[in-house]
Amino acid sequence: MSRLTTAQARELAARVVALTEADAAEALVTSHEDSLTRFAENRIHQNVTEADARVSVRAVLGDRQGVASTNRLDDESLSACCAAAVTAASAAPADPNFPGLPAPEPVDTPARAAAAAGEFGPDRRAEAVHAIVQQCSSRLIKAAGGVASTLQTVAVGNSLGVDVGMETTSVRATVLARTDRGGSGWASYHGPDPAKLAADTLGDEAATLAQRSEYPTDLEPGAYTVVLAPEAVADIVDFLGYLGFSTRAFEEGRSFMSGRLGERIMSELVNISDDALAPEAFGLTFDFEGMPKRRVPIIENGVATDVVTDSYWGARTGRENTGHALPAPNPYGPMALDLKMDPGDATIDELIGSVERGVYVSRFHYVNVEDPVPATLTGMTRDGTFLIEDGALTAPLKNQRFTQGAVAALNAVRAVTRERAFFDVMLGSVLVPGLLIDTWEFTGQTG
Amino acid sequence: MRDLVFAAINAALVKGARYADARVVESREEKVSVADGRVEAIESGDSFGIGVRAIVDGSWGFASSAEVTIESAERLGQQAVAIARASALVAGAPISLAEVEAYDTRWDAPCGIDPFSVSLEDKIALLLEADGAMRAEKAVKLTKAHLGFYRVHKYFGSSEGSYIEQGHTESGGGISALAIAEGEVLTRSYPNSHGGNWLQGGFEVIRGFDLVGHAPRVAEEAAALLTAAPCPSGVTDLIIDGSQLGLQVHESIGHPAELDRVLGDEAAFAGTSFLGVTDLGQLRYGSEHVTVTADATVAGSIGSFGFDDEGVPAQRDRLITRGTLTGFLTSRESARSISRTSNGCMRADGWNRIPLIRMTTVSLEPGDWSFDDLMADTDDGLYMETNNSWSIDDKRLNFQFACEIGWEINNGKRTRMVKNPNYTGITPKFWNSCDAVCSQDHWQVWGLPNCGKGEPVQIAHVAHGASPARFRGVRVGVGR
Repeated sequence: MSRLTTAQARELAARVVALTEADAAEALVTSHEDSLTRFAENRIHQNVTEADARVSVRAVLGDRQGVASTNRLDDESLSACCAAAVTAASAAPADPNFPGLPAPEPVDTPARAAAAAGEFGPDRRAEAVHAIVQQCSSRLIKAAGGVASTLQTVAVGNSLGVDVGMETTSVRATVLARTDRGGSGWASYHGPDPAKLAADTLGDEAATLAQRSEYPTDLEPGAYTVVLAPEAVADIVDFLGYLGFSTRAFEEGRSFMSGRLGERIMSELVNISDDALAPEAFGLTFDFEGMPKRRVPIIENGVATDVVTDSYWGARTGRENTGHALPAPNPYGPMALDLKMDPGDATIDELIGSVERGVYVSRFHYVNVEDPVPATLTGMTRDGTFLIEDGALTAPLKNQRFTQGAVAALNAVRAVTRERAFFDVMLGSVLVPGLLIDTWEFTGQTG
Repeated sequence: MRDLVFAAINAALVKGARYADARVVESREEKVSVADGRVEAIESGDSFGIGVRAIVDGSWGFASSAEVTIESAERLGQQAVAIARASALVAGAPISLAEVEAYDTRWDAPCGIDPFSVSLEDKIALLLEADGAMRAEKAVKLTKAHLGFYRVHKYFGSSEGSYIEQGHTESGGGISALAIAEGEVLTRSYPNSHGGNWLQGGFEVIRGFDLVGHAPRVAEEAAALLTAAPCPSGVTDLIIDGSQLGLQVHESIGHPAELDRVLGDEAAFAGTSFLGVTDLGQLRYGSEHVTVTADATVAGSIGSFGFDDEGVPAQRDRLITRGTLTGFLTSRESARSISRTSNGCMRADGWNRIPLIRMTTVSLEPGDWSFDDLMADTDDGLYMETNNSWSIDDKRLNFQFACEIGWEINNGKRTRMVKNPNYTGITPKFWNSCDAVCSQDHWQVWGLPNCGKGEPVQIAHVAHGASPARFRGVRVGVGR
């Protein structure tokens, strides 16, 4: 199976809409080729590729909706899928809040797919792994990680005239370097183009950090000043988006933003927006209802400014549809999938240099929510945690557990780096800098 | 399907594979969910495709496609070989598989009332009734109720001569009430959080849950949490209910006992394990009250099957025997490293994923305490129910769990309700502090349909049997 082109995906969406015997219909077509070469203990142990295409149909009868999906694209299966969506809509009770499917709006679909991604086959991925492993094995370090590519086509059509489609590509590489003396280092790349993947540099970065973090020591639990590298910040921003940046959570009183628009809730150094249209972004510019994604300023100079919507929650709350719908049916509400935090003017070394005593965190592991409204999170540090003393990294530390309110932490931001990086996270991707935070609660450490 | 499966295998062998297997997987699902008296989602879907694994020059390759034809199968067999050859650029020791008998058979799990034959109207009516019963409680501001159904058929063949067809149906559901006030969100769920409970079987599973009957109690407890005292901080004795203990087993025994993690294959993503292969038969994992089994033959569990996705028959094995580590969860490849045969734990999340070592029904075997006696035997402590959140480090040592609800225990009696309870610990120290496990009468299988592992992330349907148990000297109320 070959991946559908944009034209093919749009044509398929239109055909499925026409096949659906309902008052209105919407079709979402996704077609992708995913490949991954995974390595551990300095050898490739998993090498996979996948090709799939899926059609999801939303049938509308008055103010009732039903959804069905299939990856069987023959005429008979598509007709059965459309009929299943209509059957579901027939069974659904009326929802007087349903505003109907959205009408078409102009969508800018820039060419964001990198041609080189299509040529990033198993041999090229193996070469990248080879370069990474060489950096580690030459220092008697064990490397693990993966080199992956995704080529994706998404199209949305509906009976009101929505007809959009777009191709995107993404490449991701991760390196975990581990030494026999407890050292652990990490490096990663996430971007649209394999040509920008510097595999040997990633391998060197992870191996150097692993060597630097050998013989980790204990840390007494308590509140510390922390410098979070961008990858650690990515987890925090991701969870803030999940918990608080949606109109639905806002309206239901589950968000730390609820009832606080216009109020300063974070440090004035914090600016967070959702912006799929930014020049550096490489994802879709429309949501899963085919609506244009708009830039939404969410936190401006620390002030709670706005939340993201979709057609349902926009109409229900009288807000503009910002184009943040997930695929129907969507019990989660709108979600911010392209979050970015504005850069500051410092380097990560300057952040470290300004700390008398604190902790440097490369990244977090297994973060989860303890209390949703203050966005209290718990998780572990991983792959490079260091004590900072008199402006310099000193002792490597064992992995530390934190239990910390994320909103309170971003209210204690003292400095922001100018360097930022993309990370793929639980919800979409984020573009974030490193942060210096005055107080961060560590509550335990690994055994 | 047999012709199709062997077309893929033969194409791989012709291109030089030393071993090949192929799986055609056909699945169907349906989800219905309600929130605040409104139907939020009615969704059905199906998926059909084929995946082919091949070993060439000592390395693995895998290719998959939703195009299920003889021509596509042959092309995938060839593609898997080409990918495996690329792996050889950074090869390790040649892949070697533990022996397994060749089977030509079929296995089907029992299913009572076909859940796909029950009308959507009946499913919606059940959910709306449960949802309405929760909304009768004024302090409850958000309610959720959902049902889900899943059916899968697999057709597996290998170059060693196996051809196995198998199928089963799963049914699950649950309800949640959220009391929201003044910046607090407090949740109660039934029969479990994070997707409810899931079992193999048909609509009789859902009827057995009695969602409507439990709704008033769930709502009442959510409302009561609003005015409950915060969980105290300190070190105390802790009794954990079966559902939370199932997740504790999952995170701090099931995952660390996966031999691929022990060997480092998952290091870069989910992490490794504090266990080593030399710990087998040596490590004191827990107290004498802790015996843990991995059992793919538990009737009605979503961790059960006839054969795993390498064609290894379902088995019951002991991971921990009276506190001592005695087994790992294994694959044919990893079992070689401990000089054993596979205990059949390889499963894939569909046709488009390779099999990984996954839990089956990993259970804390019951003890002999009644719950009332255990409570009466506890002078002071806390009792916690129903998971709210979980986190554990990359070696599965330092964990922290939050629960939906807790009660203080004073002089052998459950007393004051507490909100936002949590506890933390270090895995072997925690399991060695277990001094009592409740009996078979309190033991239940908890289906967990959302276990994530691997890259690309795969979601496995696993399960855990557990009854309430007591742990001495546990740190609670972290960050409270």
